[in-house]
Amino acid sequence: MSLRVYAIAYLIFLYAPIVLLPIFAFNDATIIAFPLSGVTTEWFGALVGNRSLQSALVNSLIIAGCTAVFATLLGICAARAGAMADYPGKRGITGFVMLPLVLPEIIVAVSLLVILRQVLGLDLGNWTIILAHVLICTPFSIAILNGAFGNLDPSMEEAALDLGCSRWEAFRLVTLPLVMPGIISSLLISFTISLDEFIIAFFLTGANPTLPVYIWGLLRFPAQLPIVMALGTILVGLSIILLTIAEIFRRRGITRSGGQDTGGFL
Amino acid sequence: MTDLISLKGVQKYYGDYHALRDIDLTIRGGEFFSLLGPSGCGKTTLLRVIAGFEEVSDGTVVLSGRDMKGVPPNERPTNMVFQSYAIFPHLSVAQNVAFGLRKRKDIDKASRKSLVEEALKMVGLAGYGDRRAHALSGGQRQRVALARALVLKPKVLLLDEPMSALDRKMREHMQVELIRLQRHVGITFVLVTHDQEEALVMSDRIAVMFEGEIGQVDEPEALYRRPKSRRVAEFIGKMNFLPARVTGIGPGATPVARPAAQDEVVPGRIPQSRAAVKLSGLMRRGGEPAADTPATPGEAMISLDIAGLGQAQVPMHQAPEGAREGEVAVGVRPETLAILFEGDQAPRHECPGTVDEVVYYGDMTYYDVRVKDVPQPLTIAMKNLMGRPVLEVGQSCRIGWDDRALVVF
Repeated sequence: MSLRVYAIAYLIFLYAPIVLLPIFAFNDATIIAFPLSGVTTEWFGALVGNRSLQSALVNSLIIAGCTAVFATLLGICAARAGAMADYPGKRGITGFVMLPLVLPEIIVAVSLLVILRQVLGLDLGNWTIILAHVLICTPFSIAILNGAFGNLDPSMEEAALDLGCSRWEAFRLVTLPLVMPGIISSLLISFTISLDEFIIAFFLTGANPTLPVYIWGLLRFPAQLPIVMALGTILVGLSIILLTIAEIFRRRGITRSGGQDTGGFL
Repeated sequence: MTDLISLKGVQKYYGDYHALRDIDLTIRGGEFFSLLGPSGCGKTTLLRVIAGFEEVSDGTVVLSGRDMKGVPPNERPTNMVFQSYAIFPHLSVAQNVAFGLRKRKDIDKASRKSLVEEALKMVGLAGYGDRRAHALSGGQRQRVALARALVLKPKVLLLDEPMSALDRKMREHMQVELIRLQRHVGITFVLVTHDQEEALVMSDRIAVMFEGEIGQVDEPEALYRRPKSRRVAEFIGKMNFLPARVTGIGPGATPVARPAAQDEVVPGRIPQSRAAVKLSGLMRRGGEPAADTPATPGEAMISLDIAGLGQAQVPMHQAPEGAREGEVAVGVRPETLAILFEGDQAPRHECPGTVDEVVYYGDMTYYDVRVKDVPQPLTIAMKNLMGRPVLEVGQSCRIGWDDRALVVF
């Protein structure tokens, strides 16, 4: 009984703030407070006509898309090397590659800013954010793809070689289709992480802010707060959809390669 | 038959680990050949060397007259059935079987389809072409793997422990089917197995491997009846070992000079009370040819004095060189010993014993019988024939034995 009470309290603690988001997004008042005063879609409408918001959104999508592709490509290389080949110091290297997973983002952000601006004297822009996002997304990508490649029977690729394929053909015709669910899952999760990321983007953003940075800017104007709520609602919905799709693909990959589920992010 | 596979001086190192030690082996065309050995003996490594998945550290591999140095697996005239079968799960059964054919430019789409159907029919999977791999049982997966390899008509089919994932009944069924298939297609099969029974049942010839070395290459019957070393004998089937001494070689044998004190001081082997060594009659006993181990006419016989059993004559070919003088070990299979029941034919030799242990298998009973002056109880396998009782522990009995069934080490 007490366990059930604990579980319910835990869930409320976890999800109450997120539930409040859509409630106030549809509330017909500029002040974020109970009691609610009525239903409106005015705040969502305000989003549509907002030019600077759209440019921030486009920025974020470009950054998230590039990040997802680069992080996943790096992840494929690392996971394949980890699963197929045996090389000296493999454990240590794998651990080292995964390190950014636990590195505080603020540290990454500050050190990258120092390196890019002070040491290299480069201008900030979308590509600096992409660089930093690839850095933080690659460990996630490796973790997902390690599962996909690790579940793969090493005989599969050998069988393809044995049946007349070259190394590249064996990878393309057998390994790639089998790990494809993992690749899609990695793309989606990297995309989501990059889309939501604030701290690094805030430090490294140039003239054009990303969506989270733009939202943060809105907070200075209390009248805009309901618009932020509306935007937040959309972002949460989008994240949930993307992560669900990612998880579906990850699980499908495990059934396809006939392996055991060794846990994922969801 | 011609030599299809020829390995000369093959060495394989993994770092400091010496996985294959100076392997010389020839496998003939059309042969069902097995590599048999305990796990870690290098049999799978040897198979992978033939397939091209492992490069040799030294030595040569020749497949149908062509040196395979630097030739990748996809260009070798071999195909493999993997231990896990490695059926591609994202393809249907027919697509799996057709996988290797797509690389053959000389085969058009229509004939590819008929080849696939033919191959599936051959392994008893006609009509399964549209199924997905995960919808197949273990036995069916194995058949798909066989069809996928055989449809390419390789010169050699390599099978890596193909039965280990199957249950006992299925395994026995597939053994018979695999033999039939091999006869039918006439392709050389090279099978890796740790199961001696499987190797004996299926193979034309067997290479027994230990620790990266080949212990013996022989036909199943010869391997079982005339193992050339004690570890081969111990690995294949059960065998009793008894200490013995060579007393002479004949006919017209010259007695083996015996160092004076030697027979008294080997601890634990031959008890001191043992009767003094005699030069027994060196002629072959009886006129009939030995059923188990025919001595070629005129072949020399080795006379032995076996601890507890006494005198015996063994044809020369039953004793490898190096085991023809002094202290030796004599091996005897449990089924070539007999517990004598009333009405049994008189054996060539007999001696008294006491039942020490009884293991009942239904069709067979295995007895451990203590015999005076024999260090270890002798294991004896008896068929449970109609009307034959099963003895109890502690019962005394008489053991019959035949010196033609002995092997000397």
